[in-house]
Amino acid sequence: MTRFIAVGLTGLLALTACSSTTDSTPIAGSEPQLQTVRMITHESFALSPSFVANLREQGIDLQITSTGDAGTLTASAILAAGEPTADLLFGIDNTLATRATGEGVFDTYTSPELANALPEFLQDTQGGFLTPIDFGDVCINSDDTWFEQNEVSIPTTLEQLPEVANLLVVEDPATSSPGLAFLLATVARFGDNWPAYWEALRDGGVAVAGSWTDAYYSQFTPSGGDRPLVVSYATSPAAEVVFSEDASVTEPATSVLADSCYRQVEYAGVLAGSENPAGAQQVIDALLTREVQEDIPLNMFVYPVRADATLPAVFTDFTPIISRSASLPPEQVGEQLASLLDTWGTVMNR
Amino acid sequence: MINAGLRAHDLVIGYEQPLTPALNFSVGPGEILVVVGESGCGKSTLLSTLAGITAPIGGEIYRGEQSLSGVPIHKRNIGLVFQDPLLFPHLSLIDNIGYSLRASGKSRDAARARATELLEWVGLSEIAGQKTWELSGGQAGRVALARAIAAKPAVLLLDEPYSALDSPTRLRLLADVKDLVTRAGIPTIHVTHDHGEAQLLATRTLTW
Amino acid sequence: MLAKHLPRSLKWLWALPALLLVTFLIYPLVRLATTAWSSDTLNALTSSTLWQVALLASVQALLSVGLALIIGIPIARVLFTYQFPGRGFMLALVTVPFVLPTVVVALGFRSLFGNAIPNGLILVVLAHAYINIAVVVRLIGAQWSTLDRRMEVIAATLGASPLRVLTSITLPALRNSIVLAGSVVFIFSFSSLGIVVVLGDGSGTRTLEQVLLRSTSVLLDFPTALAAAILQLIVVSLVFVISARMSRNEPRAKVVLERAQLRSRKAAIVVAVTCLAAFVLVVGPIASIFWASISSSGGLTSQWWSDLVSAQNTRIGSPVAALGRSISLALVTAVIAAILGGAIAIAVMSKKGIVATLALIPLGVSAVTLGFGILLAFSRGSFDLRGTGTLIPITHALIAVPIVVAVATPALRNVDPRRYFVALSLGAAPLRAWWTAFGTVFSGVILAAGGLAAAVSLGEFGAATLLSRTDSPTVPVQIARLLSKPGESAFATAAVLSVILVVLTMSLLLVVDRIAARRVLHD
Repeated sequence: MTRFIAVGLTGLLALTACSSTTDSTPIAGSEPQLQTVRMITHESFALSPSFVANLREQGIDLQITSTGDAGTLTASAILAAGEPTADLLFGIDNTLATRATGEGVFDTYTSPELANALPEFLQDTQGGFLTPIDFGDVCINSDDTWFEQNEVSIPTTLEQLPEVANLLVVEDPATSSPGLAFLLATVARFGDNWPAYWEALRDGGVAVAGSWTDAYYSQFTPSGGDRPLVVSYATSPAAEVVFSEDASVTEPATSVLADSCYRQVEYAGVLAGSENPAGAQQVIDALLTREVQEDIPLNMFVYPVRADATLPAVFTDFTPIISRSASLPPEQVGEQLASLLDTWGTVMNR
Repeated sequence: MINAGLRAHDLVIGYEQPLTPALNFSVGPGEILVVVGESGCGKSTLLSTLAGITAPIGGEIYRGEQSLSGVPIHKRNIGLVFQDPLLFPHLSLIDNIGYSLRASGKSRDAARARATELLEWVGLSEIAGQKTWELSGGQAGRVALARAIAAKPAVLLLDEPYSALDSPTRLRLLADVKDLVTRAGIPTIHVTHDHGEAQLLATRTLTW
Repeated sequence: MLAKHLPRSLKWLWALPALLLVTFLIYPLVRLATTAWSSDTLNALTSSTLWQVALLASVQALLSVGLALIIGIPIARVLFTYQFPGRGFMLALVTVPFVLPTVVVALGFRSLFGNAIPNGLILVVLAHAYINIAVVVRLIGAQWSTLDRRMEVIAATLGASPLRVLTSITLPALRNSIVLAGSVVFIFSFSSLGIVVVLGDGSGTRTLEQVLLRSTSVLLDFPTALAAAILQLIVVSLVFVISARMSRNEPRAKVVLERAQLRSRKAAIVVAVTCLAAFVLVVGPIASIFWASISSSGGLTSQWWSDLVSAQNTRIGSPVAALGRSISLALVTAVIAAILGGAIAIAVMSKKGIVATLALIPLGVSAVTLGFGILLAFSRGSFDLRGTGTLIPITHALIAVPIVVAVATPALRNVDPRRYFVALSLGAAPLRAWWTAFGTVFSGVILAAGGLAAAVSLGEFGAATLLSRTDSPTVPVQIARLLSKPGESAFATAAVLSVILVVLTMSLLLVVDRIAARRVLHD
């Protein structure tokens, strides 16, 4: 029996040993000065393998771990403030940034590479703690085929939506990041009168989905649902083309309602208490190089902040940069979020 | 209901293969028909066929003049006692005995009153409050018998009853059984492999 | 009395699970709690908001329990009292919903009922019943298979109709397992997250887990999150206290009966109809997933399946690599859970019942909370286990341990302990005698426990999403990532992976059931 357990334990150790040696251990001898940098991010993070490979050439062994979505990521960083589980964090967004910087999660650092960013991002450092890396817009998407077939005109402004609310599915802002962004878009537009707007949506028959996945993949008409309007991303139509099975599909069947957009910016920052702050800074600089910035769009379907980054054709063709995307000051979001969600819940349940 | 007894006509039992020749027998009020045979010869199958658990391969079973083919177990009005007493552990002794009366729609009070009488009849009034698993083997056997005859079954089927008990207890119990069923006038079919036991109980024996 | 039948050399074994549970369960949770604690936690606990959510969740959970029992009990009867070809397949099949990632189940329900039943309580209860059929079937079935069928025959001869036999004899005899299964289903439904998020009516919170998610990930309000977690643990403990009181302690005859052959036509019809209904019920909601894996806007296609092999989906990580990773994690989980489960079973035999109680804690703590605690406790400084790849299997083993304990303890109690003394009297050394007496059942139980843990690991999402490395997700994490991207191929690849997960889980369960049945039945 004891031998039985001993054999089991040995086997277990052997198995775990295997799984740890696969991709993180430096090859002995060839790169003697390799330093480890650990990055935490959310699970939507994706870049081409060359990102890690190039850093390795610069002597950095980057280990990337993901922790749930952006909210969970931020939460885990705050809970570990001062004793971080990594050296840098990528993927905190403008709705949650103030909470984290206020809790002492980050050391101050702004990448010199930020000088190459689009004008609106040059000063967007959240008090010097963070460096903007990419941005995207949450917008209403419409199924153009449906509107054509049913001879209904596509709404063009937020104000028109209550009339066609029975065609719209939104996500619960308490459980879905695009859902929250859309709520904030209405707050930015209507100010203190936003509850009245949502009452109109509710009375018009708006559907609320628990997650983006459910809204987009079961309730949106192209997926077989019965709602031709959905809260999604400005880049979703472009993604439809890129990820289509049929190579002959060159144009999306969906488009973006430009008036409905809310801007989300993603930042990277050096975690306070990091074991390797210099390495972390080097990785943030790397995220802003032109090569990586141009790699971002087709991997994460967001826009690079760098002004001179060339966008892929599907982006320039089908996804116009949203010129009048709404946003709220992060401090205001931080203060009001709880009461906004409470009020929203009350309005929708009445 | 008139206890006109049980009659088998050209009854052949078994599962896919017949276990017996065509059997013809009857048992009437006050009679004990003892079926004697080796293990595996189909004695227990005979009882489960009579009870309606197993379908016969051929022939007919009559209760009085009524054919029992197609009549489900719970409508055959049959008392059955297995080797083990198999008392229902979640019920009190009184509710065990009164079970058939409740099943036939009697009120709880009526069932309990009758069950109390029966418990007295089998000589166990003083242990009425005990749990089923606190009884001795002999006591449990008596309660099982009282439960089987509470609703005055048309026939009582005993499948090697009490064979788990020690010999003196078993013989004493079997003598009591004979006394009780004869007094109550219930036709009884008793299955055993023990020829001595058969001689002790039988008004008639059946073997094949 | 079982304690007497333990060789001295095995008595210390309770310390192993105790050590593991304290290190990887208690320490991370306490650490998480102390980090999040503030006076606001008390305020949140005493305010009516959380209690209202708990009340609503209780109503929902009770309805789920009722439906799961109604669906599961007939299936348990057929699968555990009859022997027929395809029985093992059916048993594995009904277990699949329990180990599938909830996001897959939820999407299946949406596409099946999307237009007929609006999101809300009814759909949530349906989905919870669906997921938990396996809990009901396996826990109640295990007791049913040891029930003396002659008891029902006696009741029938006494004039009880089949319905009366069921309600007055069979169900009371199954009471302990019904109470146990009911409690487990209640706890799972009460603390549900994925199903409630996708299938709930999308406005307001319906479970404490939802409060927890919202407080942590959206509002960053950790004191309230902690209050929700504490309240949940209180309710779950309460459920266990109540269920312990509702259980009976009457001694049971220890019989393991051979399952009945289908002799009568009526029995064959009952079995066939029940199996058919169960098949449709289980496969219905996931059939749409299979359909999605072979269809596209242009009609039927095999492209998604061939893409998987040629690994064209490099942008979102290779699905084949994710499969390999999930399988190896499941194997490590199985080994850890088997060691842990076996040691706990021995601890129970040596009367260290406290260890078994500790092992139940994961039932009341969500995978995400546990994952969070483990992440904070073991991913920095000298305790950095994150790079070693052990955190996920350890967490999965902890999640599976309550199930392991529920399966193992009754089986070991059914062994006649006198065998130990018989073996000793024949001259066997204590360890050998113990193995002679309990070895067959013990190894069967351990194999079953390991297999179930592996199945749980294959489908687990909540903890894996917190602890995976970005470049090496597990299959459920990969599915969730794919499902959060627009585009036909993302959705279809998620469908393909889900189908593979179903097949993988079923094969695993088939093997495990077969091994376990052989060991325990032929003991």
